[in-house]
Amino acid sequence: MSSIFRKNRRGEVVARLRPEELALLRGLPAELRALIDDPVRDDADVTHSDPESERAPETAEPVDDAVRRRLFPLAYLDPTEEDAEKEWQRMVHPELVRSKLDALSLLAGTLERAAETRGRVEVVLSPEETEAWLGVLNDARLALGVALGVTEDLDLEAMAGDPAAAGYAMYGWLTALQGALVDALL
Amino acid sequence: MTGAPGTTTEETIVEEPVEAEKIVTDAPWIVIVWNDPVNLMSYVVYVFQKLFGYSKNKATKLMLDVHHKGKAIVSHGTREKAEADVARLHAHGLWATMEHEHG
Repeated sequence: MSSIFRKNRRGEVVARLRPEELALLRGLPAELRALIDDPVRDDADVTHSDPESERAPETAEPVDDAVRRRLFPLAYLDPTEEDAEKEWQRMVHPELVRSKLDALSLLAGTLERAAETRGRVEVVLSPEETEAWLGVLNDARLALGVALGVTEDLDLEAMAGDPAAAGYAMYGWLTALQGALVDALL
Repeated sequence: MTGAPGTTTEETIVEEPVEAEKIVTDAPWIVIVWNDPVNLMSYVVYVFQKLFGYSKNKATKLMLDVHHKGKAIVSHGTREKAEADVARLHAHGLWATMEHEHG
């Protein structure tokens, strides 16, 4: 995995993917856009919860709502800061949505121009595009992680026989990809 | 947080969240990053360095605090600064909240 990303002489990141990996990445923007591009939150969304109990929701909350709460967390734990929270969400949420959607578009654009060489598809990423890749990969892992209910001690190999095996495989691949990209940058 | 593929993860020591308090003073606000099971440790270090200009050592120490203690204070300042920092951390997928510093 570590050779998927390298830096060229200009310091740009070069991504070198298998065609099937390119296909998987191309599917991400549409899926994430549906989760991110949600109508403006109403007051009902400003509900407080303990960050450390997030993994085990007691009520059957729709998965998409749980994912959105993770992608767009509250700023205040203190429930008496409800007004400040609403004001912060009003100011920040549209901007957060816009930046995440911009990252999806940037990533999609880089995938469009990826060129095939010797059985791999290669694309050179500008610093801005590299950040977009990092952000999209992270958002995809957060969304899938919440949907799968992953824990810190997740053993991916043990999930091969799980009904959600395909989801865990995707999660593992995204994790390896993001890890390789961060390693190329650090 | 989770390690890169192939690395081992350790049991996280979970602390209760600091009791919420409303203190009407000029005390600075603090920004807290909470542990979560998805974010990669290397990515969290990268984000701390990028957003706050911290050295790799400081960013790594903060990341390890998040990982082992369940949370870490990553910045402090006025309410406006804390709000901006929380927004930037959320934009990078980190789980951050803000509160008044105690005392």
